[in-house]
Amino acid sequence: MALESEGLRTETAANGALGLALLARVRPRVALLDLRMPGVAGIDVLKRLPEIDPRIVPIVITGYASVESAVDSMKLGAFEFLTKPFETSQLLDTVHRGIHHWGTYAPAQSALAPRRAKQTQTLKSQADALLKSLEAAEEYAELGGTPTALADELRTLETQADYHARQLGAVQKKGKALHDFVADLQAVDAIVTRYQNKRSGLIQILLDIQSKKNWLPSHMLMWTSRRLGVPMARILEVATFYEAFSLVPQGRHQVQVCTGTACHVRHAPELSATVSALLGIQPGQTDSDLQFTFKQVHCLGCCALAPVIKVDNAYYGNPSMKELKEIFAGCDKYAQAEGEN
Amino acid sequence: MPRLENPHELVTLRVRSRVQRAAKPQRISICGGTGCLAAKASGCIEALRAAIERHHLSNKVELQETGCHGLCERGPIVVVAPQQYCYLGVTAADADEIVEQSIIQGRPVERLMYQNDGAERVASLEKIPFYRDQQRLLLDANTRIDPRSIDDYIAIGGYTALERALIHMRPEEIIASVKESGLRGRGGGGFPTGKKWETTRNAPGDLKYVVVNADEGDPGAYMDRSLLEGNPHGILEGLIIGAFAIGAQQGYVYVRQEYPLAVENTVRAIEQAREYGLLGQDILGSGFNFDVDVHRGAGAFVSGESSALMAAIEGHVGRPRSKYVHTSVSGLWDRPTNLNNVETWANIPHIINKGADWFANVGTKTSPGTKVFSLVGKVQNSGLVEVPMGMSLRKIVYDIGGGIPGNKRLKAVQTGGPSGGFLPESMLDVPVDFDELRNAGSMMGSGGMIVMDEDSCMVDAARFYVDFLAHESCGKCLPCREGLRQLLHILNRIVAGDGREGDLELMEELCDTLAATALCALGTSAPNPVRSAIKHFRSEFEVHIREKRCPSLACMDLFHYDINTRLCNGCSLCQKNCPSDAIRGEHKKPKTIDQESCVKCGNCETVCPPKLDAVSKVAGRAQLPEHSPLLRQKTG
Repeated sequence: MALESEGLRTETAANGALGLALLARVRPRVALLDLRMPGVAGIDVLKRLPEIDPRIVPIVITGYASVESAVDSMKLGAFEFLTKPFETSQLLDTVHRGIHHWGTYAPAQSALAPRRAKQTQTLKSQADALLKSLEAAEEYAELGGTPTALADELRTLETQADYHARQLGAVQKKGKALHDFVADLQAVDAIVTRYQNKRSGLIQILLDIQSKKNWLPSHMLMWTSRRLGVPMARILEVATFYEAFSLVPQGRHQVQVCTGTACHVRHAPELSATVSALLGIQPGQTDSDLQFTFKQVHCLGCCALAPVIKVDNAYYGNPSMKELKEIFAGCDKYAQAEGEN
Repeated sequence: MPRLENPHELVTLRVRSRVQRAAKPQRISICGGTGCLAAKASGCIEALRAAIERHHLSNKVELQETGCHGLCERGPIVVVAPQQYCYLGVTAADADEIVEQSIIQGRPVERLMYQNDGAERVASLEKIPFYRDQQRLLLDANTRIDPRSIDDYIAIGGYTALERALIHMRPEEIIASVKESGLRGRGGGGFPTGKKWETTRNAPGDLKYVVVNADEGDPGAYMDRSLLEGNPHGILEGLIIGAFAIGAQQGYVYVRQEYPLAVENTVRAIEQAREYGLLGQDILGSGFNFDVDVHRGAGAFVSGESSALMAAIEGHVGRPRSKYVHTSVSGLWDRPTNLNNVETWANIPHIINKGADWFANVGTKTSPGTKVFSLVGKVQNSGLVEVPMGMSLRKIVYDIGGGIPGNKRLKAVQTGGPSGGFLPESMLDVPVDFDELRNAGSMMGSGGMIVMDEDSCMVDAARFYVDFLAHESCGKCLPCREGLRQLLHILNRIVAGDGREGDLELMEELCDTLAATALCALGTSAPNPVRSAIKHFRSEFEVHIREKRCPSLACMDLFHYDINTRLCNGCSLCQKNCPSDAIRGEHKKPKTIDQESCVKCGNCETVCPPKLDAVSKVAGRAQLPEHSPLLRQKTG
């Protein structure tokens, strides 16, 4: 076995139950767990691992990758999540990192998620308590003058409250980010399934992701790469070749000026100049509030209305500047303020 | 609706649909093509529906949203049946009047009708000069059916050709018929369709594919879009017949994602056809199995090339390969694959129904049939026109298109998109067919026809096409990647007023190399716009290079706007309409333009009252202050 040749001692167990016994006897640094094992499943072994020795670094291996199983494993404290097939070098690298990690990684509770939830809760209750005492102190102060000691104490309490509130915000932000991240990967799962996991569906899959998110976030591309078994380099090749894809976030509203020949001879360059000046961005750019992305696109196929501008899904033929201002102002309130200035 | 097990059930369905349509003889059809939707047709549809309901006519009057009528310039277009009153430029406010006058009283609404030069109003669609000289073989159905209803298509005789082909003809007979008709590929190449089909049929292998190429990337062309949006079943029918003749089991429709309505209507049409059993197993009891999938193109002009398109369907980057083995022998997944353009497929049912002889008699001897053109640019009636092959450009531009607006002089007509060339006024009498256009130094292409008048600069137009092609070059072969980049570099130099002696000869040399050595048609035909522009308009290039002047005042770097302070009355309209705050001066006082801030959008010229006409374009670069950052940018 590859690990042996690296000078690592390995022992194997045929099923989950034997594995648990083996783990208790050997107390290894790293445990490689297959999610699908006869008897006790890998996920259950993972759950019971901290009872045996919290220092053991679990690495999960599976041939049936899904977002759910990955998230579950990571929540239960898996150090890494490898999908089959993988390169030997990838396995070795992960195991080495696992060994290095041994000992530093001993979660007090087996799962990350409950701990985080608890942390959030503690912070919340602390913050609440602080706020309550602040209110009480203010009432006390209103009753009659504030002694210096009390003022100091109030200040300390305020600082503490601030600190905890910030912490609380950070934790919630992280939680939301994680939630969004998982939702994104699940969206990829749904799209990939719609194309029956076919590699030939790659362009269609990317188009669907693009239309859902308005751009192609890298984590979604990586997950697509994993699900389809297509190397990341090829995904980026496709994503950079076609006009429709964007690897950077796009504005909430897409402004497209047609540069087809018919539009070109009917003053599309002038229209572009107007739009550019109104939005304050050049073709191909997105404004700093992520409100508008301005693009010059190839023929939109409405040549009779030239010059044509498309804002989100609506087409407009030869708009005057006043109409343009109204169109942009209609996009949302911020623009209205800007349009009037 | 249960599936149709045999031809008899299809006939029954057709009769039933016709009876249903006949029960409501009064119909208001409104164009729901993208062009008319952009002209706010959806508001009109709602208003008409409300008006019909208000008059309690919902049971008697059918409101039908059809595909593109063609005269997009004057949309939205409304046609009232059975009288066939045709109304142009309808707004939501006209809905009540249309229902009250035309439906209830049976009289036309005069003010919405087409007005001839002689101020005479024209009632019906056929009498409008735009339509009078056309022969609308393919586009006709667009105006008669709701593209979202397969029953509509069946009612007007749809899928009769399929029935005839599947039940009464052998595949060889179909191919012989298509060969006899002389139909040539409408995507631009003009390759005989029947011959192509035969090659794929005879190619070894059991698994074969057929593909509809709807990756209409030519700027200034939208025929395929309108056909797919307006009558997707017509194309589907042609495709199924072709698949049967060739022996294919799977088809693909490759359509640009920039055409969302075309994608939507095609997907819906395929689902309906599946439901009726016109796709799937044992179609109409003939034992023939066939199905179709839609692939959306992600925006790359070169993906319209057959081998690139097939690579894209396989999920790869759409780059062409060299075709020493044709795709008709080794295409999708190395299987024999027959690819035809949307319009080619749409012709098939007509050939089967009306016979090869009939088709061969339309148009010219070498290019039979009709061709749909998108007649756009500087022309009065821009829109989609379908004419028999062999009609002269002059007739198309002046009789159908109504000539150039504002009594300006025509300078050139560009056909064939980025692969075609410019035809000057002296060549307007060329009959339009595949061979004549090629002899004239242009090509048919997919059917874009862009009219340019004296305000268009040919150097700028040549630069426009090279810019497009350089951007769309896939970069696989060196002549195309580097050749186009150099051409663009030279042309950019010329339009910026930095042209040098010898630039023209250098470009001609580059063009020769490109035409001789590029890998695919994008590269080999890329020189056409430049070559024809230099050939017919050499003097314009020379003025740019030697005098640093653009005679048409179209090249942005070679003109600037100026306000004549003697004519300006200080009304401030220009100031209000300047997006970049470049107009200086107090209200009621003459204005001046700050050339540094000016973005040359031309709004000031547009809004300046005609009686003053104080703003004008002036040849030559603007005088910028000595320390302007714009100057530094130019020299640096």
